[in-house]
Amino acid sequence: MGGVARALLRRGVQAALVVVLVSVLCFTLVRLLPGDQALRVAEGRYGYDRVTAASADAVRAELGQDRPAIEQFLAWVGRLAQGDLGASLVTGERVAAEIAYQLGHTLLLSLAALALALLAGPALGLLAGLRPGGALDRAGMVGAAALRAMPVFALGIGLMVLFGVMLGWLPVAGFHDAENIVLPALALGLGLAAASARVARDATVAATNAPFFSFALLRGLSRAQAVRQHVPRNAAVPVLAYLAVNLALLVEGVVVVESLFGWPGIGHALSHAIAARDVPMLQGTALSLGLIFVGLNAFTDVAILAVDPRRRG
Amino acid sequence: MRGLRRIAAHGPEPARIVGGVLVGLVVAMALVGPLLVEGSPTRQDLSAVLQPPSPEALLGRDHLGRSVLVRLVHAARLSVSLGAAAVMAAAVPGILLGLLAAWAGGWTDRVLSGVGDAVLALPGLLLVLLVVALAPGAFWPLFIGLSLAMWVEWFRVTRAASAALLSSPAVEAARLLGFGPWHVLRRHVLPEMAPLFGTLAAFGFAGAVLAVGALGFIGIGLRPPTAEWGLMMVELLPYYDEAPLAMLAPALCLFALVLGLQLLAGRDPR
Amino acid sequence: MTPSLVIEDLRVGAGRTALLRGVSLGVLPGVPLTIVGETGSGKTLVAEAAMGTLAPELTASGRIVLGGAASEAGDRVARRHLWGRGIALLPQEPWLALDPTMRVLPQVAEGHRFVRGLSSSKATARAREDLAVLGLTDAAARFPHQLSGGMAQRVAVAAARAGGAPLLLADEPTKGLDADLRAAVVALLRGALQAGGALLCITHDIAVARALGGEMMVMLDGEVVERGDAAQVLTAPSHAYTRRLLAAEPEAWADTDTAAPGDAVLSAHDLAAERGGRRLFEGLNLTIGAGEWVAATGPSGCGKTTLGNVLLGLLRPATGEVRRRGGVAHTRYQKLYQDPVATFAPRLDLRTALGEAARLHGVPWPQVAAMLNRLRVADALLDRRPDQVSGGELQRIAIARALLPDPVFLFADEPTSRLDPITQQETMEVLRDVSTERRLAVLLVTHDQAMARKLAARQIALGRA
Repeated sequence: MGGVARALLRRGVQAALVVVLVSVLCFTLVRLLPGDQALRVAEGRYGYDRVTAASADAVRAELGQDRPAIEQFLAWVGRLAQGDLGASLVTGERVAAEIAYQLGHTLLLSLAALALALLAGPALGLLAGLRPGGALDRAGMVGAAALRAMPVFALGIGLMVLFGVMLGWLPVAGFHDAENIVLPALALGLGLAAASARVARDATVAATNAPFFSFALLRGLSRAQAVRQHVPRNAAVPVLAYLAVNLALLVEGVVVVESLFGWPGIGHALSHAIAARDVPMLQGTALSLGLIFVGLNAFTDVAILAVDPRRRG
Repeated sequence: MRGLRRIAAHGPEPARIVGGVLVGLVVAMALVGPLLVEGSPTRQDLSAVLQPPSPEALLGRDHLGRSVLVRLVHAARLSVSLGAAAVMAAAVPGILLGLLAAWAGGWTDRVLSGVGDAVLALPGLLLVLLVVALAPGAFWPLFIGLSLAMWVEWFRVTRAASAALLSSPAVEAARLLGFGPWHVLRRHVLPEMAPLFGTLAAFGFAGAVLAVGALGFIGIGLRPPTAEWGLMMVELLPYYDEAPLAMLAPALCLFALVLGLQLLAGRDPR
Repeated sequence: MTPSLVIEDLRVGAGRTALLRGVSLGVLPGVPLTIVGETGSGKTLVAEAAMGTLAPELTASGRIVLGGAASEAGDRVARRHLWGRGIALLPQEPWLALDPTMRVLPQVAEGHRFVRGLSSSKATARAREDLAVLGLTDAAARFPHQLSGGMAQRVAVAAARAGGAPLLLADEPTKGLDADLRAAVVALLRGALQAGGALLCITHDIAVARALGGEMMVMLDGEVVERGDAAQVLTAPSHAYTRRLLAAEPEAWADTDTAAPGDAVLSAHDLAAERGGRRLFEGLNLTIGAGEWVAATGPSGCGKTTLGNVLLGLLRPATGEVRRRGGVAHTRYQKLYQDPVATFAPRLDLRTALGEAARLHGVPWPQVAAMLNRLRVADALLDRRPDQVSGGELQRIAIARALLPDPVFLFADEPTSRLDPITQQETMEVLRDVSTERRLAVLLVTHDQAMARKLAARQIALGRA
């Protein structure tokens, strides 16, 4: 079996684990939630003042709450297996439909942030690493350390206040125009980009100190030629490995940034679902974010295999 | 002067010193702050809403007339103790299980690693969120969720590092000489892993503090009127124009603590 | 004939310490020059000075004539433009000097493309020819980690010479390679001499000098102590150090007068072992008696080390069984390693490490001190950490440690393969004496046939399965 097939198989197992973990946790949540769940569902569906004992009973039968826990769990998983995520307790909309709408926004935001972390950060890190101790290196390292330590929400507020309010260059809320994405993407991506710049910088220093780099010079290549031929690919390996481990930060950041900017994505919906104890919505959004995480992991796995032949084995 | 120069030449790098000072300041604020600054973090004074700094409230008052400084030091105590407790609760089982998996190998290792992989299948914060959803606003779910998400990191790092050490020629030689497990642990495994543990603790601490802040900020962590940095920021967000210091102060504290921990930790061990 | 490289009165220093004290040499086309010396003799500094790659903290003086132009030895920029064009360096351990993420063919083509200025397609075609000449056609599309040590060595030569430099400088070309690859390396280096090429080879291995022929120089403590025609130096050395160096070659060692082996300490019946699913050896029967030396020889990967580990019980055999003498403690079967540094706790001083092992076996310290004295280990060394003493010293300390449980059997896994020849001889002599005194049985794993013949009464030759 090739390296790519093995990596994808591993991620397939991870995806299955995500489904199991989220559904078990959400089912536990339903069982543990105080108050009559059916009443809450009925409230959500028919409105707070129009709910009656009869409508609650109807919902209870629908949820199967009169049956034993294990049977309920199997039914829960069975519905999930059929792709039925249920309806939101708050809006009554089908969860699948809501998520289908939110998914595009979340993917757009994540990919914009990822591009920042994959392109801008490493490019700066590479430049800094080629002149270790130089002005760019020192300034860059201080900046990167500061950005890395900045909580995503504080960074988001800072960006909002600076560019949105004080300078008035960019909109702080909204999601219809292209420029709406700039601030959320920066808030989400800058920390990751700073970290990957730092890793790229160290990797560049390591590559230019490696025996293969001096051998390239000794064979007669100019420094510029040797850098072009041998540094970027070798430096990319640790950067991708770092990103692979820290993708969790990206997914975690999505929840915070979407909530802060009112970005209508899955993360925003997730935090609402928790506050409202909207379990079907919580399950749907947590599942989607978990699977996005798995997908991004699979993507970096393949990228690492493409760059580093030693891991293909 | 000579002593300073010697430290600069042979001691820890300057970045670590800065980190140590920052962490020391915030931890000192958490330990002795509530003793030095009197007052309750939840006492409101609606006649002094958004008051600028004064001798009674050195950092001014918030939108409910509460002293920002008092709230700040209580929030520091909360974040530092929650972070430290979560790190301890993650480190102890993580290290013990990691050593066990590396030592025993075979099925023990496979089962433990499988459990670890399962926990890591989800991003840590998502796991914390799902646990927190059980009882939003309470302290315990937050602590349990954080420990649950963090122990795996300790487990994996301990397992990998101790497996490499246990299969080293040094340990083989020690066993051939007749030394027991305790000697191997004390002489060959733990001394080599100690720096790694320090780094993990610093990163874990920073991660936990950030998570608490982030959850407070999006309204699903601790609930008002608790004094918590993330919560303080979001509460004061609408008033940033009138009382910028009240909103900036918690952000700066959180930033200083996390920056200090990251500088202290050095390089990411993963 | 004009020399390809001339070095006149080269002096290199670090602060007030002189590392090279007036070295002069000339390399003629077609005549290999070999510099022989042990670690710390300064032989590598000669190569670095010639290239202009000396560490910046070192001072250098003298004159270097390369590519028809003379320059100051201390001038690190003057010869930079000749890299790859006038002088090619074959680095130590070439498998580390190849880019791990790039296939072999483009790495060789770089020289043609960037140094000779050929078009990309022409450069690739030329690189393909280079590889074909060296018998590496199949390796063109491989990555460095897919090459054997010998193949990587040949690829490195092709890459180093692709720029067309007439002078090849080889620094320790056999380091890290099995002794049985030595002939191939020498043939490879001799190939560089064809078509008017020149060769300067730096090595600790006298056998390389003997096989290359031509001229040779012997260095000691930064000075050339002897030079001349290789055949003459090797047969009639004039300097005492050269004579000692030659006497340290295993071929020249005194024969061991082997006493009859005593009762069996270890016996193996119908032994087979596997690694990674591959059968390494099978049907092996072996009995080792007290005081007896048995040598296991063979190329790398043949299972020599695995055999020793199976005998010690560190690995389980695939079939067969190992029996020890009844009533003998488990700890009286000991092992010596190739790299002694890796067998000590890195942060612990050696006195504590030895002290703990001595206490464990109830050996009073004066007895340990006497043994260290016997092994010629200075007491002051014990206050250092393992990485702060030389390889030979640490291996003798490791011998002392292994002797603490009063062993009856010692598995010595290439214990001297990383040591300089004279240190190797001293270490082996000590081990031989100790074994005779204590009737200690030894299984010696080595790839050096001559050493095996000299030390062991019996040999087990393992082939590549």
